[in-house]
Amino acid sequence: MIQMHAFYAFLVVGGLLVLIFIYVAASTRHSREIDFHAAYAVRKKFFFVLLALILVGFGLTLGKMPYPQENQVPDKVVFVVGKQFSFGVSDSPITNDQEYEAATYAAPVELPVGALVEFRVTSFDVNHGFSVYSPNGDLLGQTQAMPGYVNRLRLRFTQPGRYNVFCLELCGMGHHRMRGVFYVK
Amino acid sequence: MELTTDVTNLWSEGDLNKFRRMTLIWGATVLLLLPILASLGYFMRMFQSNFFPHMRPEWFYAVLTLHSLGMVGTWFVGGMAGVSYLLTQYTHPSLAISKLNYWGTLVGVLLLVACTLGGLFGTGWYFLFPLPLYSQGVWQPWATVTFFVALAVLGLCWTIWTLDLLRAIAQRYSLKAALGLNYLLGKPGPDVPPLVLISTVSLIVSFAGFVAAVIVIVLFGVDALGYAIDPLLMKNLTFFFGHILVNITMYLGVAMVYELLPSYAGRPWKTNRVVAIAWDAVLFLILFAFFHHLYMDFAQPRWVQTFGQICSYFLAVPAGVVSIFGCLALVYASKMKWTLASVLFFLGIMGWGVGGIAAVIDSTVEVNFHFHNTLWVPAHFHTYYLMGVVLIILGFIDHLGLEVSKLQESPPRTKAIITLLLLGGYGFLSMFYWAGAHSIPRRYAVYPNELAQGTLYARVAFGFITVLLCGILLYLWETGKRCIKAFSA
Ligand code: HEM
Ligand SMILES: [Cu+2]
Repeated sequence: MIQMHAFYAFLVVGGLLVLIFIYVAASTRHSREIDFHAAYAVRKKFFFVLLALILVGFGLTLGKMPYPQENQVPDKVVFVVGKQFSFGVSDSPITNDQEYEAATYAAPVELPVGALVEFRVTSFDVNHGFSVYSPNGDLLGQTQAMPGYVNRLRLRFTQPGRYNVFCLELCGMGHHRMRGVFYVK
Repeated sequence: MELTTDVTNLWSEGDLNKFRRMTLIWGATVLLLLPILASLGYFMRMFQSNFFPHMRPEWFYAVLTLHSLGMVGTWFVGGMAGVSYLLTQYTHPSLAISKLNYWGTLVGVLLLVACTLGGLFGTGWYFLFPLPLYSQGVWQPWATVTFFVALAVLGLCWTIWTLDLLRAIAQRYSLKAALGLNYLLGKPGPDVPPLVLISTVSLIVSFAGFVAAVIVIVLFGVDALGYAIDPLLMKNLTFFFGHILVNITMYLGVAMVYELLPSYAGRPWKTNRVVAIAWDAVLFLILFAFFHHLYMDFAQPRWVQTFGQICSYFLAVPAGVVSIFGCLALVYASKMKWTLASVLFFLGIMGWGVGGIAAVIDSTVEVNFHFHNTLWVPAHFHTYYLMGVVLIILGFIDHLGLEVSKLQESPPRTKAIITLLLLGGYGFLSMFYWAGAHSIPRRYAVYPNELAQGTLYARVAFGFITVLLCGILLYLWETGKRCIKAFSA
């Protein structure tokens, strides 16, 4: 899970920084003159190391942005509308309040395992956050539900089961109750 | 180029005393607000722990709004007051404008209290368009109006303050010189202390942020009159402003450390070419880093998203290579005088670094896809606020109190304060990070059954906040004594 990789990366780098601070604080027990040219030389090295890390970071991640790739055709399209305080998730377009109401009461959408699914997400009132949680509760991905815009989120599900949709943008008193659901079979 | 005035002619002894008193009043006010606003955070973690099962969630969201806006505002004005005081060594900021800001800020805060606790206005701190206009009957139109009036009052006062400090700097240095242009070009010119350079960068940027805030407020009004406004445009403007305000507050703290830490370390920390390049780079990068708040708006052009990640990553270079490295080099093997203030400065820079690392990780689009609006976000910004600029400003207030009151500090109590703040603070934060890594959303009054572990993390955090509050109270006791003595001196 990428979250845990990020968490451990943070622990390692953050821990290293804390150790350096402890080391520097401890060094003041035995004070001495330091040569500022030596310090500048260290700084120069640090600069190039950081620069290299940043460039590697770009190389590893900039190509993996989660936005839809135009050369890919989704296997299935699902329509999503957020409205205070529920998500309508449907196989067919949701264009007005009646269709939205119907979608929130209809049986949950079922999606095939392994298919590339495109969620077309929008909102009928304020901003909401459309997020997909796996059957084990991991946040797999998200996009904003913004009024006036359709955000296309593409995901491929390998694990069958019940997927929860939670709202990730504060949208009022019912924000934490706002949800949706679909199944992967 | 020569400086236009001599420092010694800038201030009469009496005026300087008045300015110092005003700074102490600001300090005391910040010290009063800290425990109140921290208790609101405590309350929220209790709410998320399900300690109040019968309370309406509207209260959570109203408190969230008051806590966050209160904190953001408090540390911004704390940073501004501290920096203006330190600037009196080199320039002449206006005392009247500092006073105007004091009363203006007070009025703004009272209005905010009225609309949140009195009117249940609960949009969170960035009141994302068009949520304030869609209350579902929870808050009434008067609360929305009061909220925007509060913002307008605060925005107006703070813009004036920003402009006055820029005026003071420009009168003595010219803005070009204050931005370190001589250093960049390798030309002779006046010595510009880092405090002046960093303040100038921060103030210019925050002015740009306030202009965006004014546009946001006006556009809200236009929308309310029936002319539809583009929500994506509003979100861009909102985060341009929000991101700047939060970052500037941190930089004001960093400026204070550049100015004060050398006196404890017994070594100079001067502007040179590298420092000037670093801060001028910040001036540019900070204007575009805010795009990382809109990564999950897939409608935003792709190049903007890429550009946002590039600027966010590169912001780590001046911060890390120049400021954090510079702080470490300053202290390394020096004859450091470790007092409550200097320890807080040092730890504050460390907290800035730790929070910055978490921020850079989250500013990767691929990672943000999984972290956006989870508790990872409050995790990182509470790190560089609470364990960063807050510690620095607390250090500054203690520094000022000691300087004026000439009291001695008690080493065992200093140790106790630091231990409690570190243990409570980082313990509290660890639960935000851990929960974020486990997909727990931010800003949930109550966690749904599927994410019930969020409740457990909130309870653990509750324990740590208790420790943190003990540290804060002990600090207030110690520093409060010094400030009262200083004030009567
Ligand atoms: C003193 C200890 C503090 C505690 C116990 C605390 C606690 C909290 C909690 C529980 C939340 C809600 C998290 C969520 O579920 O989304 C929160 C949000 C927030 N806090 Fe704090 N906090 C503290 C200090 C600070 C400080 C120093 C700042 C400085 C600016 C700050 C600014 C914010 C902001 C901006 C938010 C986000 C509000 C939003 O989502 O709209 N907090 N805090
Ligand atoms: Cu919602």
